[in-house]
Amino acid sequence: MTLNNPRHFAIYWALLCIALVIGLGRLLPESHLNNSVLSLLPTQINQNLPPDIYQAMTERLDRQVVWMVSGEDEQQRPLAQKWLTQLHSIPELHALQGPMSSEQQQQWGRYFSLHRNNNIDDQTRQRLADHGEQQARWIVSQLYSAFSGVSSQELQHDPLMLIRGAQLDLASKGNALTLQQGWLTARDKQGTTWYFLHGELDGAVANMGENHQLVDKINALKTDFLRHYPSAKVLSRGTLFYSDHASEQAKRDMLHLGSTTIIALILLILWVFRSIRPLILSLISISVGALAGGVVVLAIWHEVHMMTLVMSMSIIGISTDYSLYYLCERRVFGAVSSPWQSLTKVGKTLLLAVLTTIIAYGIMLLAPFPGIQQMAAFSIAGLSASCLTVYCWHPWLSRGLPVNALPFTPFFLRWIALWRHNQWVRRGIPMGLAFLSILGVSQLRINDDIAQLQSLPQHLVVQEKAITEMTHQPSDQKWFVVYGPTPEIMLNRLAELRPLLQQAERRHLIKQWRALPLNSLAQQNKDAALIKQAAPFIEKRLTQLGIPTTPINTISLPLTPDIWLKSPVSEGWRLLWFQLADGTTASLVPVSGVENSREVAALTQHLPGVVWVDRKASFDDVFSHYRKLISGLVIVALIVIAVSAMIRQGWKQGFITLVPSVLSLTCGLASLTLRGEPVTLFSMLALNLVLGIGINYTLFFSNPRGSAVVSLQAITLALITTLLTLGMLLFSSTEAISSFGTVLCSGIFTAWLLSPLAMHSRRKRN
Amino acid sequence: MKKLRWSLVMSYLLILPFTKAATLEQVQQQLTSHPLIRAHFEQKRTIKGMPQTLNSSGDMIISRTDGLLWQQKAPFAMRLVLKKESLLQQTENQPPQVITAQSNPQMFQFNHLLTALLTADKNTLNTNFKMTFTSLGNEMWQINLIPITTPLDKLFRTITINGGQFIEKVTLNDKQGDTTLITFSEHRLSPPQLTAKEHADFDTQ
Repeated sequence: MTLNNPRHFAIYWALLCIALVIGLGRLLPESHLNNSVLSLLPTQINQNLPPDIYQAMTERLDRQVVWMVSGEDEQQRPLAQKWLTQLHSIPELHALQGPMSSEQQQQWGRYFSLHRNNNIDDQTRQRLADHGEQQARWIVSQLYSAFSGVSSQELQHDPLMLIRGAQLDLASKGNALTLQQGWLTARDKQGTTWYFLHGELDGAVANMGENHQLVDKINALKTDFLRHYPSAKVLSRGTLFYSDHASEQAKRDMLHLGSTTIIALILLILWVFRSIRPLILSLISISVGALAGGVVVLAIWHEVHMMTLVMSMSIIGISTDYSLYYLCERRVFGAVSSPWQSLTKVGKTLLLAVLTTIIAYGIMLLAPFPGIQQMAAFSIAGLSASCLTVYCWHPWLSRGLPVNALPFTPFFLRWIALWRHNQWVRRGIPMGLAFLSILGVSQLRINDDIAQLQSLPQHLVVQEKAITEMTHQPSDQKWFVVYGPTPEIMLNRLAELRPLLQQAERRHLIKQWRALPLNSLAQQNKDAALIKQAAPFIEKRLTQLGIPTTPINTISLPLTPDIWLKSPVSEGWRLLWFQLADGTTASLVPVSGVENSREVAALTQHLPGVVWVDRKASFDDVFSHYRKLISGLVIVALIVIAVSAMIRQGWKQGFITLVPSVLSLTCGLASLTLRGEPVTLFSMLALNLVLGIGINYTLFFSNPRGSAVVSLQAITLALITTLLTLGMLLFSSTEAISSFGTVLCSGIFTAWLLSPLAMHSRRKRN
Repeated sequence: MKKLRWSLVMSYLLILPFTKAATLEQVQQQLTSHPLIRAHFEQKRTIKGMPQTLNSSGDMIISRTDGLLWQQKAPFAMRLVLKKESLLQQTENQPPQVITAQSNPQMFQFNHLLTALLTADKNTLNTNFKMTFTSLGNEMWQINLIPITTPLDKLFRTITINGGQFIEKVTLNDKQGDTTLITFSEHRLSPPQLTAKEHADFDTQ
């Protein structure tokens, strides 16, 4: 590369950077951060479910908080009442639901009485068919049964016993919570009564800090409450507690690892360069890279995915290498060559490094996954910009950098000599590593379980389990989502789903399910006709048996979703009801006891507006998809690197330069075996990074114009900075992240160890 | 719901007094002595405000291992099977309704109570009822039960059980003023295992 007018390059690049900043300023306000893992799915999996509904659903569920409190005072009044009073002092908690007032209980009764002709359940509907022959028999059996508790009052008021039918149907639907003194209660195995409380977090509580304050407040209240009432016990459940635990853990990790890392990095660079400037220069090239990547992604997609941000870490690792390579060159030869001469010396290699990486990432652009495409675009733009920053600005900015030999030069010289002349080292080390790799890789197992992302705190898990056992409301988040442009259409679709679920229950595909007990208006009309048809027959039958009846009321009072939602009977069901501003309505049908998620999903494939959502299985699917995809991409990238190396250096040398890349990948994987960890999406992401960084090492070393010892020192420095930053992840308490660290550290170390293999053979002859 | 509670309460009330003892303790000691009891029942149900009583009759079996079978024969057929984990009810030839402990834990709680009673767990009885035991002489006795826990206290005012060597009469007085009187007769203890037909009747599948 000839640099006839380097000053202009710097100015052009500065102008472009300013343009990028302005662009970012324009794009940022109208963009948003997408953190839904489902949107990473290949589009055909979730195309049926409108994203707005999914968003509303997950947001609402994440806002729920549940408590179960046991213990009574001397007057047998539940201590839960006192806990409820305490909770009222927290303004962020909305819609706190404790006991039902007696007025609400009356409303409850009135609702079922008033709308009994419009609130027909499946079983009653079946009995009412055929002019109500079966319903008549059922009524008689209820009357005769010593166990049914039918009163003459009930018979007079509701001769068809429709209220009774609806109540029995509700009770058989697996609602474990029963009403006691107005409270929803459950009992544990020891027979202790637990009172159920439920609250919803204010939508405004979003950031981690506020979350943490809230959890602190609740915990303080709990301690206080338990001190006052030692006989009470409190169980809590809610995403809030888990997310707070996770963010606190992350904060601790970052604080511990982050602070030591930064201090160590500053000390290292100060010691090597006797100047803080290289650190600032590296930061500049990283920031410009991130800026360019961000603008390109936002310009194309108008949103950034979380995954892209996570992967931008790799930009840091790779782009620091560019800066450090140039700066080491300056540190050593600053006195004898001008900044631009140094640039000419390393420029071609830098360009080659960035081109190879770009080609590797370019292939990822072809992947049909939005997340991967974003990541690739971000990396291509970011790395090019980082490299160009080194080109255009570093010669200017590094003027006057103190010049001296880099530390440990004699040691590095001896190390290089060993690799040049000692066949035991040159052949033995790669072969030894190859042997270890084969051993390790053959023992690998694969894990796509999303649970590895979180290390769940035991005290929360125990409470969650106890609550699930008592309430039969599992938190495994498996549902059918039924939706439609209007509530009526949604309810009609729900009606079509019900028989399928009953069938599935009989086939033991699922254990339990809960669908809203509300009929569509169309269904209510049909039911009204059934009742009108059945009433005279049933009246006749009862009279024949000498049972006095009052005339049967067959008036249909249309039961709209509005009436239902406003009545206390929808308490506990409202959580499952979603209505968007445009009238689109959805409801959740939680399903438990699912063994085979795919079979359940297949049940409703032919039904429009019904989607099976298994959050965990979808996440696992995403993990598995991406793991395979990235494995494929790593192999493709490796082939690209191999082909380009062979074109440049001929078949034999090209092959030799490939050895470090291949072995760094296999050793990275093998190290997982050593730590007893499985292969996950995260280890594949680390491999991707190992390849990107490793290729830099090889290319710097194979630069025919550079000095081998400076190359070695530069990549050693690069290795140490990478290990200090990303390598710290090794100590994370989350399995996914620590396995990322494991692969990265061992892979990069292998790449560094073997990089002298890439020394140009011509140099050997010289 | 109500129906289930009643049936459960019924079943342990029936099991409780199969005894010839003269004190409550002895009554309770006797509880486990018979593995299987068969009896005929006549039931008279008086619903307040209704002119005539509703009469029905049939057979019942209580087995320590299998649970309770309540088989009404007249005026129409009705079968009720209560097991440790499930409850089945079938009227005439309609499809049976099965409720499991899993789908209805309230019932499971009652079952827990039932098991406690089968093993003469005095504590459990004392927790749920205020009990009065009266020896009527000549090996006859009467137990008066007043429920003290919810939901029992919402359903019954009092429950009275009369018996001698076996249970003979159960009177249930509802909160709403209705009464059900069940009289048992023709008690049989042999064979001590269920016959093949009885097994089939107990089948809840």
